[in-house]
Amino acid sequence: MNRSIKAAVAEGVDDIVIKNPAARHNIAVGIRQSCKIMIEGSVGYYTASQLDGPEVSIVGNAGWALGENLMSGKITLSKNAGASVGASMRGGEMFVGGSAGARAGISMKGGTLLIAGDSGFLTGFMMQKGRIIVCGSVGDAAGDSMYEGTIYVGADVGSLGADAKYEEPTEDELIELWAELQRSGIDGKPRFRKIVSQKKLYHYDTLERLERTLI
Amino acid sequence: MCGIAGIMYKRSRSRGLAPVGDQLVKMLETMVHRGHDSAGVTVAGESLKSDLLIRIWADESVPAEATISLAKETVMRAGGAIVSAETQDSYLRLAVNYEGDVPRLAEALLQTPGVVLHSIGETSEVIKDVGTPVVMDARHGISKISGTHGVGHVRMATESKIDISHAHPFWAYPFTDVTVVHNGQLTNYHGMKREYESQGHHFQTENDSELIAVYLADKLALGVDLNTALEASLDDLDGTFTYLVSTRDGMGYAKDRWSAKPLVLMETDSVVALASEEVALRSVFTEELDRTEPQEHEVMTWSA
Repeated sequence: MNRSIKAAVAEGVDDIVIKNPAARHNIAVGIRQSCKIMIEGSVGYYTASQLDGPEVSIVGNAGWALGENLMSGKITLSKNAGASVGASMRGGEMFVGGSAGARAGISMKGGTLLIAGDSGFLTGFMMQKGRIIVCGSVGDAAGDSMYEGTIYVGADVGSLGADAKYEEPTEDELIELWAELQRSGIDGKPRFRKIVSQKKLYHYDTLERLERTLI
Repeated sequence: MCGIAGIMYKRSRSRGLAPVGDQLVKMLETMVHRGHDSAGVTVAGESLKSDLLIRIWADESVPAEATISLAKETVMRAGGAIVSAETQDSYLRLAVNYEGDVPRLAEALLQTPGVVLHSIGETSEVIKDVGTPVVMDARHGISKISGTHGVGHVRMATESKIDISHAHPFWAYPFTDVTVVHNGQLTNYHGMKREYESQGHHFQTENDSELIAVYLADKLALGVDLNTALEASLDDLDGTFTYLVSTRDGMGYAKDRWSAKPLVLMETDSVVALASEEVALRSVFTEELDRTEPQEHEVMTWSA
């Protein structure tokens, strides 16, 4: 199916509809050109992963690792996502209309992951850049071992992960976030809590031996 | 990686039995990419004309015919009346009327040369084999078995050998109808196994998942209810696990603190279905589903 999608896009088709996916895996993977893909139904693992450019809309639920390694483009999921949504994403936007499972935004390197509902255990685990916005609550160990990046949480935080800390968001930040929610069709103005790295776990100024010889 | 599945029809004893065997085979076959070394099911709530259903596999340490004949003798010597005896290759399925002590019967069977006891149930049986679910079904006719509920497994072996007995489900010897399917690895298996063996518990294999069955048996023997036993396992078992348990009256799941192994759950007024992947649920329920994903450190149980 992915070969067919790529061939269609290469021929100039820019509006693709996939019907009855029946929760199967690896649908719409590796598409690297701008196009619109609508998936009408729930999907399995690694859906819309390794994308660079497309806008993918999914009407239903998704299994593990939706949108893994997203480079650019947009993924919109109407219902719940499984674990590791947006794993290693480097850019683009991802919207989850329901809730996400464990390890949302794990090792994220850029872009925005917006979750309208709740998010599970280890949200933002080892994230390196980008933003995770969770309108509901997050589970335990939020932001565990994060290097950089920001997690915003609209309701409760189960617990902070290792080396994560709260920071007070500015008024401008909140206004910008609320506008972003409105653009995504989410009502309300939650008083977001902001989670960032304490940066005590990693030693950014410690160079490897080879690096020291190069200076 | 392994795949697990479970299905339970609510109030099916009064509503009529459901095609649980067929549906488990379908769900497992859809997840065969998660493990094609071996497969197995427990079908529970069958309509039986005997007190007990005993599932035995002859491990061929002695000729299988000898084991099968010795097993029947053992049952009769223990006071059991054999209602029917079906053999298939090295498998023996005995329907038995028996009013004695089940642990005593189980112990006597375990002492019988070549006997591997896959299950003793009042309403359920364990069927397992090497190969894929479809191959297993062709040999054992699982899809023809109706019941109220059941669990199943496809195995990708990671820590012990591939043979019939190392396939799931594992029976919680000697508790009738309590069986387990597990996806994951238990890292405190050897320590806990040594401890349980010193207390007189039986292990029939080298598979770490058997520990869960023995663990639950130990808790149930202490009078702990199933839900509490599942909850206690979340902290007592170390490693990664999502496991399903089938009992005479229903089924349940437990999911580790890391949420390391997948599970999706669909529940309606009439049915509960669980599987490692939604695609397995869709092999049985063709319409779009309202399903959830259980989170870390969670258990849940249902009654048929």
